[in-house]
Amino acid sequence: MAEVVLKDVMKNYGSLYAVNNVSFAVEHGEFVALVGPSGCGKTTTLNLIAGLIPMSGGDIVIGDRVVNDLDPKDRDIAMVFQNYALYPNKSVFKNLAFPLQMRKLPKAEIEAKVMAAAKVLDISHLLERRPRELSGGQQQRVALGRALVRDPAAFLMDEPLSNLDAKLRVAMRSELKRFHHNLNATVIYVTHDQLEAVTMADKMAVMHGGVLQQYDTPANVFGNPVNTFVASFVGSPAMSLIPLDVVSKGTEVALRSPEEGWELPLSPMNARKASASSNGKLVLGARHSTLKLHKSAAAGAAPGKVYTVEPTGDVTFAQIFVNGAVVNISLDPTVAIEPDEAVWIEFDQDRMHLFDGETTMALKAA
Amino acid sequence: MAAIETAQRPVVRKPIDWWRWAGRVFLTFLMLFTVLPMAWMILTSVKSQFAAMQYPPQWWPSEPTLNNYFKLLDPTNRIGREFLRYFWNSFYVSLLTTILGVVVAVPAAYAFSRFRFPGRTFLFFSVLVRNMFPAVVFLMPLFLLMRWMGLVNTHGSLILTYLTFGLPLSIWLLKGFYDNIPIQLEQAARIDGATRFQAFILIVMPLSSPGIIATSIFSFIGAWNEYVYAYTFLSRDDQMTLPVGIQRFFTEFATDWPGLMSATFLMSVPVVVLFLVLQKYFVRALTEGAVKH
Amino acid sequence: MSIATQQAASPPATGTVQKRSGFLSRIVAHRTDYLYVLPALIVMLVVIAYPIYYTIELSFFRTPPNLQMRDKVWTGIDNYVRVLSSPVFHEVTIQTIIWTLASTVISFLLGLGAALSLHREFVGRGLMRALLLIPYVISAVAASYVWKWLYHSDFGVIGAISVQLGITAEPINFLDNRQTVLASLIVVNIWKEFSFAMVMLMAGLQTVPDQLLRAAQVDGANTWNRFWHVTFPHLKGVSMVTVLLLMVANFNSFIIPFVMTGGGPADASHIWITHIYQLAFGRQQWGVASAYAVILFIVMMFLGYFYVKALTRGDEARA
Ligand SMILES: Nc1ncnc2c1ncn2[C@@H]1O[C@H](COP(=O)(O)OP(=O)(O)O)[C@@H](O)[C@H]1O
Ligand SMILES: [Mg+2]
Repeated sequence: MAEVVLKDVMKNYGSLYAVNNVSFAVEHGEFVALVGPSGCGKTTTLNLIAGLIPMSGGDIVIGDRVVNDLDPKDRDIAMVFQNYALYPNKSVFKNLAFPLQMRKLPKAEIEAKVMAAAKVLDISHLLERRPRELSGGQQQRVALGRALVRDPAAFLMDEPLSNLDAKLRVAMRSELKRFHHNLNATVIYVTHDQLEAVTMADKMAVMHGGVLQQYDTPANVFGNPVNTFVASFVGSPAMSLIPLDVVSKGTEVALRSPEEGWELPLSPMNARKASASSNGKLVLGARHSTLKLHKSAAAGAAPGKVYTVEPTGDVTFAQIFVNGAVVNISLDPTVAIEPDEAVWIEFDQDRMHLFDGETTMALKAA
Repeated sequence: MAAIETAQRPVVRKPIDWWRWAGRVFLTFLMLFTVLPMAWMILTSVKSQFAAMQYPPQWWPSEPTLNNYFKLLDPTNRIGREFLRYFWNSFYVSLLTTILGVVVAVPAAYAFSRFRFPGRTFLFFSVLVRNMFPAVVFLMPLFLLMRWMGLVNTHGSLILTYLTFGLPLSIWLLKGFYDNIPIQLEQAARIDGATRFQAFILIVMPLSSPGIIATSIFSFIGAWNEYVYAYTFLSRDDQMTLPVGIQRFFTEFATDWPGLMSATFLMSVPVVVLFLVLQKYFVRALTEGAVKH
Repeated sequence: MSIATQQAASPPATGTVQKRSGFLSRIVAHRTDYLYVLPALIVMLVVIAYPIYYTIELSFFRTPPNLQMRDKVWTGIDNYVRVLSSPVFHEVTIQTIIWTLASTVISFLLGLGAALSLHREFVGRGLMRALLLIPYVISAVAASYVWKWLYHSDFGVIGAISVQLGITAEPINFLDNRQTVLASLIVVNIWKEFSFAMVMLMAGLQTVPDQLLRAAQVDGANTWNRFWHVTFPHLKGVSMVTVLLLMVANFNSFIIPFVMTGGGPADASHIWITHIYQLAFGRQQWGVASAYAVILFIVMMFLGYFYVKALTRGDEARA
């Protein structure tokens, strides 16, 4: 049974629709990442689930209740805030004890639960300190602890790692994942970092401009992005997107560069997809690892010009201009290319993506 | 390894910083300008009436005496009784004004800081604009209003007036403090099981105590020093506050300047002590809002 | 689970849920918010809004000296004509302008100098700031008595010093002289308020980034250039607020002239406020005084516009 369900959830500030008709369901024990660029409505969505701001429309279910009109305290959720929101005038112990005190638990039980949570998070030695006497990482743990002392139906986390430095972030990432596994907890996790979402989540909900773009497993979002936005947002370096024209010659279908005139024949499967495009224009998408580089013209390869070369040690990334678009490609470090060199890029017909040039939606074989 | 050699090179002397010296001279001048009048007040207050009325003046009291202070603080004579009574009146009015002011200003400031209700901007501006208008403008209608309510010659008239005129500033100051308390703290508290009200009382209030202290000092000092309304609303001797009362017992015949100076000194003691002890809060309140970081 | 997983495929819904909300319904939606401001509002309505209304009303009436307002007589704009055509009005207006501008400008400059001199850390700096601030916190009544005694025509210490130093042949009568009285009062006012400007500007100075000053120093700017090109531009906002606050306070001051001279001799130290007070409570001409007050209102509204603008700078931008 689903633990948290959003149905047609809306939130507008005047004419600005911060959350626009968002629906998704989170199963019990699932780790769902809400991901999208800054300002796309992630925090607003989370606050709506928590009941911190009133909804403009729609329904939210937590556990087995419709919680639309419930106060945050009655929704049976815990939340971790981006800036941690630790009570600055309370010690760590009192911060952790606060949610239990509010629920009027007996003193001994509060103490036992706080100690247990502190032990799990390895902050037992910090209990008497004030938040401002802690490092960023320690504050982060305390914030997490304040959520863990309870046994809520769902944990909500708003970019909990974004204020940590890069190294700590990676370490905390795996720790969080471990917690989720151990507790079998339902987690809704907001992040603007697609890598965090892909690495941690069972499912990811990609948002853009208040609208939910795609809700699926990371593998499916990565493998079958529904539109060019998702395609370019998920994955690093980003998927390369090249706008091209569709040309048909009898049974053959090819893509043609409107500026440079070269053509790229399509496999029968891709040909069927391409013919579904609305007005003969589409966008060809390809991930860096599916591309092959040739130093001379080759069949099924598009001509390009090297822009930059970035060796990172075990892989070398290169940016190449193809038909005016930037194409990211990963190369073996032994391949020697120079900026401004002419090269040819070969696309993998089985792993390329085709999007409608107008609606930006992924094309399906008719 | 080559030694780093500096000995042979000419040493350039740091030039005299004339601006720094100008600053010192200027500060000395300002300190004299500020302190000498206060010093003269204190010196005069320990002179006898006769010693004060001399020309050229006694720069240093030849026979310093604390008689003036004894007289003011001795409840067995008439002057002492009245002075202490005025002192108590001032204290009572100021304290009540301060407490009521905080009680009314806290929720209002919180609302102005947190909520975006229609008319909020208008209300807020009207609060600010109130600061602009001089007391005298309100004096005539308020006098009639107080007379109508039967509050003339009561401390109620002063407390009501001070409360109102202190409010805009109190609200403004407190709003600045609430603005600096992240809203996420309240949200966290509400998720942790607190109601809106509990979140306010348990989390926000303790955090805003510096603001409340700052605001309180301001109201207290303002009420303690107020003159115009007290002068107009009060005519009964036993009701008067210090600023109004003080002139009465030294100017009835010829002015007793040493007596007046010692009374002035005593009147200033509470606010100066309050200021010195809570200087940090006072300065913060004074500059809050005007200096955005 | 059959909830659509590919939202983007359906066109985004816009404005289907939220009805067009009118001003009234927004007020109703926020009705609990108003509870917080209600106590403050009620008090202010009684003590501020009503008096303003009543002052405007009275300004169109001739009022009886016994203050039985039932017997007041409608006279239209007579009171305004009387005020504006009175020679005393012009004299007092000029004095008000001199008082306000001189007090403001000099206090600001002294405060600026003090703030700059006190900005550098040195032993005793905190004590100095505290001492300089004392005149600001004590009552203006206290300040008035102290200075009245300093200015005393026979036994005043200032007169005595100026004779001792040979500046004047005999003690000057500061307060009982039409030529010197206003300037003498302005000195008292400055004594009392310049440290306000000092504190404000000291707070402003703390917002000047050290890095910028160092960069300027490395770039070869001398002390003056560092002040003029780096420090001063950073102080602009605070300076504006400070000057406005000083101006409003000076325009509204009452106690110093009232206690020290009562506006005399021969009206030479009256400013608007003391004059209005005298008309109302001295001569019982409440109608005329009210007309005066309304004129003052209008002038203050102009100042108020800038005041509110300066004070709320950034308030709306803050999300
Ligand atoms: N209280 C508010 N009033 C007006 N607009 C808001 C408010 N809160 C958020 N928004 C707007 O809603 C949009 C989504 O914000 P948010 O949910 O915070 O984005 P993010 O995905 O970065 O967390 C943004 O455009 C933001 O400006
Ligand atoms: Mg956010």
